[in-house]
Amino acid sequence: MIDKKVQIGDKKFTLGVFNDEGKLLNAVRSLRKKEVNIFDCYTPFPVHHLDKEMGIKRTNLTVIAFICGALGTTTGFSLAYYMNVLDWPMIIGGKPMDVTVFTSFIPIMFELTVLFTAFGMVIAFFTRSSMIHGFKQDILDLRQTDDLMLLAIEVNEDQPISDDEIKSIINNEGALEIRERGQALEVTY
Amino acid sequence: MYQAEIRKPLVTGGKSYADVTNDICRPIENKPSSSWWLGFSVALVLLLVLIGTLGWTTWEGIGTWGVNKTVMWGWDITNFVFWIGIGHAGTLISAILLLFRQKWRMSINRSAEAMTIFAVLCAAVFPLFHMGRVWLGYWPLPLPNAFGSLWVNFNSPLLWDVFAISTYFSVSLVFWYLGLIPDIATVRDRAKSKGRKFWYGFFAMGWNGSARTWARYEVVALILAGISTPLVLSVHTIVSFDFATSVIPGWHTTIFPPYFVAGAIFSGFGMVLTLLLVARHVMGYQDYITSEHLEAMCKVILLTGSIVGLAYITEFVIAAYSGYEYEQYAFMNRMFGPYAWAYWTMMTCNLIAPQVFWSKWARTTPWFIFIISIIVNIGMWFERFVIIVTSLHRDFLPSSWVMYKPTWVEAGIFAGTLGLFFTLFFLFAKFLPVINMSEVKTIIKDKE
Repeated sequence: MIDKKVQIGDKKFTLGVFNDEGKLLNAVRSLRKKEVNIFDCYTPFPVHHLDKEMGIKRTNLTVIAFICGALGTTTGFSLAYYMNVLDWPMIIGGKPMDVTVFTSFIPIMFELTVLFTAFGMVIAFFTRSSMIHGFKQDILDLRQTDDLMLLAIEVNEDQPISDDEIKSIINNEGALEIRERGQALEVTY
Repeated sequence: MYQAEIRKPLVTGGKSYADVTNDICRPIENKPSSSWWLGFSVALVLLLVLIGTLGWTTWEGIGTWGVNKTVMWGWDITNFVFWIGIGHAGTLISAILLLFRQKWRMSINRSAEAMTIFAVLCAAVFPLFHMGRVWLGYWPLPLPNAFGSLWVNFNSPLLWDVFAISTYFSVSLVFWYLGLIPDIATVRDRAKSKGRKFWYGFFAMGWNGSARTWARYEVVALILAGISTPLVLSVHTIVSFDFATSVIPGWHTTIFPPYFVAGAIFSGFGMVLTLLLVARHVMGYQDYITSEHLEAMCKVILLTGSIVGLAYITEFVIAAYSGYEYEQYAFMNRMFGPYAWAYWTMMTCNLIAPQVFWSKWARTTPWFIFIISIIVNIGMWFERFVIIVTSLHRDFLPSSWVMYKPTWVEAGIFAGTLGLFFTLFFLFAKFLPVINMSEVKTIIKDKE
């Protein structure tokens, strides 16, 4: 599930440093027009439409949420049905204890649906984003969680235009500075 | 996006992204102030009271409480419902207002969610210790039963409550933690000492603000908000089922679920305002929690307070109309019986007091809002007391009519849960960013 291709590791990057999300979006747009492959952007807050501009597909975590939710509903029903109908029916006031009391299982089925959805989806999110302890984490600049936005483009032969052209595009879009980085700033704990 | 000039900015003071980080990280990175120490010490003393009174209850038994055969639920369940209700505002702000795209929630959702989690913890104390033998507190769980063939009863609203409250607690905790991750990463990247780097690094889970992660993160937050919304409505609905599915006059009414949910949000906003008005003043966050925020919250109080007031009157009218003399007596007894003082306190605090928020001056004057918020807290505590104690103390059989008086142990436990709540809140204010930095950064250029 963990995509090694999106991890920084020791890849070589051209980095554009921005302090305005509008400029970052424009830079991404211009680079995508030239079909430059953008590795990733790092921002201290969610920038709207950035994922679409970068060409990131919408996540399918919602499918996982649905599956987990369905599992929760089934678990809730099976738990109640097995315990109160199959294994040991509790006859209170001579009332029947069979599938017709289904309605009183609904609250627990609902709660377990919510519980399973929430946990299943969050665990899937952590896994998909490789936010698991033990992984060495890659940060390119300490201020990327504070007030700066980074645009990272991998330096390799697959890019349609040269590195200097990429740099000039980033520069024209109003980057604060342009850096090159051969190695991630390692933060180890 | 076009925004009309009439809209006021959500964050004042012309803050830059770095200003937001500096302002909100300040209390975490500096030594706590003397007012923090004072508040924390008082809370800690009350927490010791909780430990003491709960210890005494466990050692000696429920006989140390004032509850008896007729009034088997007294202060304990009153406090339980009170605390659960308080929690509801947090989820309303973080989930329901997210779905409604109310951007003003962004600077208050973090502390309101923290409040939810701490309030649910306080609430859990009461049913657990009311069981009498707290070490058997795991019995309501559907575990393979080693003591016979009997399982838990899935027809019982008390069991629904077990599931509802544990789900509510864990889902709120996950939602809160998920929101905290980007901010913990910010604190991690500013940390100087090794200890801070380790701990904030540990809890940040390697967050680096990648656009891919943000895209997923927003979807996860939206789905969590989507499922938390029916969850929060279900929790207080199920709490109200504890009463409504019984046959006790005064409890056996179909209006309970919506009435309890509105009451929960009403009381929760009362507590949110109490806490935020103090925090905003002490921490100097007037630019983030502006008078626009206070006004919006006062409007919610006005709305939910009026719904609650309407419910009180509806309940009374339906009882009068029902032609069922026990139900009619229950309501006459509430109004004119020995606990009438509690009923009229409730009516004054919940029905009359919030109506002052029709005035704009009242909605924007912090000291005045603070007083009303305290009145709302008191009123909502009395609402639960009235529902529980006045309905129980005189039921069908006059020979079993009694009065209920709490003992010092019950009073101590209630004061103690206030201690637990505030101890946790003070620790939260010291170690975690009380305002959601990453969300506030998206709205500093925005208007409401």
